[in-house]
Amino acid sequence: MTARANRLRWLVSGESAFPWLAPLIAMLVVFTIYPLVYNVWLSFHEYAPFKRRVEPVGLDNWSALLSDDRFWDSISVTFTYFSAMLIVQVVLGMAIALLLDSEQRGFGLLRALLTLTLVIPPAITGMMFLLIEDPEFGVLTWILERVGILDGTNPILATGSTALLGVMLADVWQWTPFMVLIFMAGLRSLPSEPYEAAMLDGATSWQTFRRITLPLMGKVIAVAVLIRGIDLFRIFDYMFVMTSGGPGTSTYTLSLYAWQQTFSFIKWGYGATISLVSLILILIIANLFILVSKVRW
Amino acid sequence: MRDSDRKRYLAKVVDDYVRRRISRRRFLSTSAQLGLGAAALGSGMGRPFWGYSPAHADDMLQPSKDVLDWVADVSKPFRGTTLKLATESTPPSNAINSQLKPYFEEASGMKIEIEVLPLEQVLQKLTLDIASQLGTYDLYYIDQSWAAFTSRDVFDPREQLADKPDLAMPEWRVEDFLPALVDGIARYEDRLVGVPYDIPIFIMMYRKDIWEDMGFEAPTTLEQYYEQAKAITDEMGPDMYGATGQMKSGHYSLECDWTAWLWGHGGSIFNSDGKFSGNDERGIEAMEYWTRLYQTMPPGVTGWTWDGQGQSIAQGVAASMMSWGEFFPYFDDPSATKVSGLMEAVRCPAPKRPLRTVSDTGYGEIPGVGHQGGSSLAVSRNSKNPDPAWIFMQWATCHDTQVLITALGGGTGPTRTSVYDDPRIIANNRVGPGTTRHLGVVRETIANDMGSEPDLPEWAELSNDTIPVRLGKYFAGDYGSAKEAMDDIAQAADKVVSG
Amino acid sequence: MMRMLVAYMVVALFMFPLYYWGTTAFKNAKEIFNTPPNVWTFSPTVRNFEEVFGISLGFFRQQEVLPGGGNFYMAPRLWDTIVVALGSTVLSIIVATLAAYGLSRMNFRGRHAFVGWVLSTRMMPPVAVAIPMFFIYKNVGLMDSYLGIILIHAVMNLPLAVLLLKSFFDDIPKDIDECALIDGATRWTIFRRIVLPMAKGGVAATAVLCFIFSWTEFIFVLTLTQTGLKTVPVVSSSFVTSTGTAWGNMAALGVAATAPAFLFILLVQKQLVRGLTLGSLKE
Repeated sequence: MTARANRLRWLVSGESAFPWLAPLIAMLVVFTIYPLVYNVWLSFHEYAPFKRRVEPVGLDNWSALLSDDRFWDSISVTFTYFSAMLIVQVVLGMAIALLLDSEQRGFGLLRALLTLTLVIPPAITGMMFLLIEDPEFGVLTWILERVGILDGTNPILATGSTALLGVMLADVWQWTPFMVLIFMAGLRSLPSEPYEAAMLDGATSWQTFRRITLPLMGKVIAVAVLIRGIDLFRIFDYMFVMTSGGPGTSTYTLSLYAWQQTFSFIKWGYGATISLVSLILILIIANLFILVSKVRW
Repeated sequence: MRDSDRKRYLAKVVDDYVRRRISRRRFLSTSAQLGLGAAALGSGMGRPFWGYSPAHADDMLQPSKDVLDWVADVSKPFRGTTLKLATESTPPSNAINSQLKPYFEEASGMKIEIEVLPLEQVLQKLTLDIASQLGTYDLYYIDQSWAAFTSRDVFDPREQLADKPDLAMPEWRVEDFLPALVDGIARYEDRLVGVPYDIPIFIMMYRKDIWEDMGFEAPTTLEQYYEQAKAITDEMGPDMYGATGQMKSGHYSLECDWTAWLWGHGGSIFNSDGKFSGNDERGIEAMEYWTRLYQTMPPGVTGWTWDGQGQSIAQGVAASMMSWGEFFPYFDDPSATKVSGLMEAVRCPAPKRPLRTVSDTGYGEIPGVGHQGGSSLAVSRNSKNPDPAWIFMQWATCHDTQVLITALGGGTGPTRTSVYDDPRIIANNRVGPGTTRHLGVVRETIANDMGSEPDLPEWAELSNDTIPVRLGKYFAGDYGSAKEAMDDIAQAADKVVSG
Repeated sequence: MMRMLVAYMVVALFMFPLYYWGTTAFKNAKEIFNTPPNVWTFSPTVRNFEEVFGISLGFFRQQEVLPGGGNFYMAPRLWDTIVVALGSTVLSIIVATLAAYGLSRMNFRGRHAFVGWVLSTRMMPPVAVAIPMFFIYKNVGLMDSYLGIILIHAVMNLPLAVLLLKSFFDDIPKDIDECALIDGATRWTIFRRIVLPMAKGGVAATAVLCFIFSWTEFIFVLTLTQTGLKTVPVVSSSFVTSTGTAWGNMAALGVAATAPAFLFILLVQKQLVRGLTLGSLKE
């Protein structure tokens, strides 16, 4: 009895983690465990349009994945997009962060301006780049034709080899500043001693970057990659707005494919299965990454 | 004032109003001073039940008082009801949502909430509502390609008329809707999936000035159209192209273009066995024709839906398009386009071979060069307020409301026979925004050239994905030949249909 | 000097699409589509804004802008977006600071795994969450309500917020807590009076990110609302009509919608850059 009362007192005293975590756990359980369970259940069922209900189909959805070329296409598009965007945004983000990391007058304004790209909703960004890359009226098309990169016969977003690049451009534009922000914050909090030592040794700036900045920034980069990577793997808005996955299937990502199966074809079960595969893949990737990069919380 | 002058002046006033140069109050008072409507209305419309009298002339472009009185009368038990509808952003929905809705709300005491979305999102909302049977929406906006799978979830208006005689609007008859539209849009098997609500349809629109410069007559056959388009592109390209298209990969618009050429070469999407037949001899011939015509279009067409296609005409990049007639009034608006008054509408060129008949095709497909993309409006069976929704639906599709939609909403094609003859519609038969000068062609096209897609539950998937994704691949050069592409589509389509 | 020049050029490159989009909002339809594109020269019009906000800026103009009636009248939607973004930010910050404090100060078995689980809830594709949520919302009456969207946006932001805030709290020495406890303060007092004020910058940075993610979210709002409310990203797609896309109006809404969010960012600009270190440098 007293043990129980003690336990109760301990629970409400604030010494136990539970009361602090309770609201979080409650919200996450309702909003994420339930959908997860529901999707697992749904992946063994399929919506029967004429019966207006969901019927069990066993493993059909899972086995259908194996022979579905569209599914494999979308996996490869997702991976291409995911890895290319991570690399480009990390490298470019780091370069710009180094460039803007200065106490000189004027740089503050530049940093503030860069955050502007983040507040544009991706759905609108997609429309924006759709206009910019329009084959006939787009300003980017016009410039590229002027300098001879495009010859006027290959619309950027409607040519298999360039469509994904066209979509990526929007992503790079929108999210590189996000990386810049994180990296810049990291650079700000670096200790100054190693740099003074390096200067005394007469190291070149590349050497300084390679031997001091990069190792010190490792954790920041890892966390940035993790946060951005999770979102990149679920990328949807840009393709949805700009290419509808085309031409052909060259910009179909897993999320877009799942969306289409779920909402356009009312194949809820199959859509749920694709979503689960996407979840499993990113779970594996993220955990491997956490293991390798030794991120500790 | 003489009658002809009066008509011209009214046209100008309507024009000013559509361009928002004058306020609604001034517009109404001016058109009232013109005293138009009374005589003309009486002669043009047969015998409308509420019988316009000169006293009502100032209601010219205001909803008829009799209609609103009827609404007020039957809505008494339903005051305070809220009705919801999800619709594509089309001229009728926009006219109702932004201008006409308040009249209905005031008369009925109901509240109408209209959710305006792009087509794909309407489909998404609709399927979720149907699947969950939760009655989120009281009315459905149903694109003709969804008729099959929604058919069991909506009321057949004929049944509603019979079951609820006390709620029936006087003179609101299904027979007044153009019969071809009722068959092509609303009919699925023996049921009517609501009534036709709007009718975008393919007509031939071309630049009269360019055609005259080139010494051409309006094209009468597909082959002639190709030759004219090619001549223009050869002569004037790359500043001006002879034709244009809506050929964005994976988008419904690409499938729409395809059907027009397919049907125009005597082909069909399905044969009578229900198998995909776009890969037969005629289908391949159509693809070859289309591929040739594609060479005369701006290179950007493969990135465009109807938006880019319309812009290419509006900005003077392309000289003609066989596409949605809804764009025509927009082209005539000098504040938005560079081609106001230069465009001319005619019926689509004649098909190269005799069209297949419905018995040669499958799933109720109706071949015809004038591809229609109409939609119907219907009351959902899942709705918790079917009776008020039915009142609203009758009001939204009645003669008077349709006239106002066409006059205020910018020259969209009406679905009722009587509306085409209404003097308020004829008054707008002049160059300017919201023109109705193309409606004669629209009406003839509906009667003679209209092509309708098949009705089968899998059609949404076929028309939005299976076909346009692979056609997109074909135009991106991923297939060796048209035959190869069509065979691939045939295989994929048959697999989708057989489940 | 050279560096300054390069910096300006890089930022200008990033600003160009925004400039182009911004000027699109002031062009009429004819000028938006032009070959070659109109970049610098066009005659500005505020018509697009007038339609989107239902007010006429020109006193002497005859044309009448339908107040609150036009199809492109979006002013209330901007308000919806602000309510949702602020509401969900406040909610996720409250829940996340509590949880982050617990995770930072209390030791319990499986803490690392617990944080991993919290992070993993962000990995589910939103498409998959949308359908079950639709059914729940419909049944409990959260459909089409501010509360419903605020809740789901808050949940969506929780993993990131907890992670960030925990790292900020970790930066604050635990000795402070210990001393205060000995002085007789409760955990709650310590949390409110000591830790929270000290981590102010981090909380602000987290709030900005939550705000931005809610401000720009698309799928949940699309699926879980009807006519009651809509946020800017979703409503911007209603400019895509069957007779073409109203690019000018869309751009006008986009420009107008950028302003409140950008203001919010400017207010916490200093904290944002300092806060985003994620505390991950300290071991």
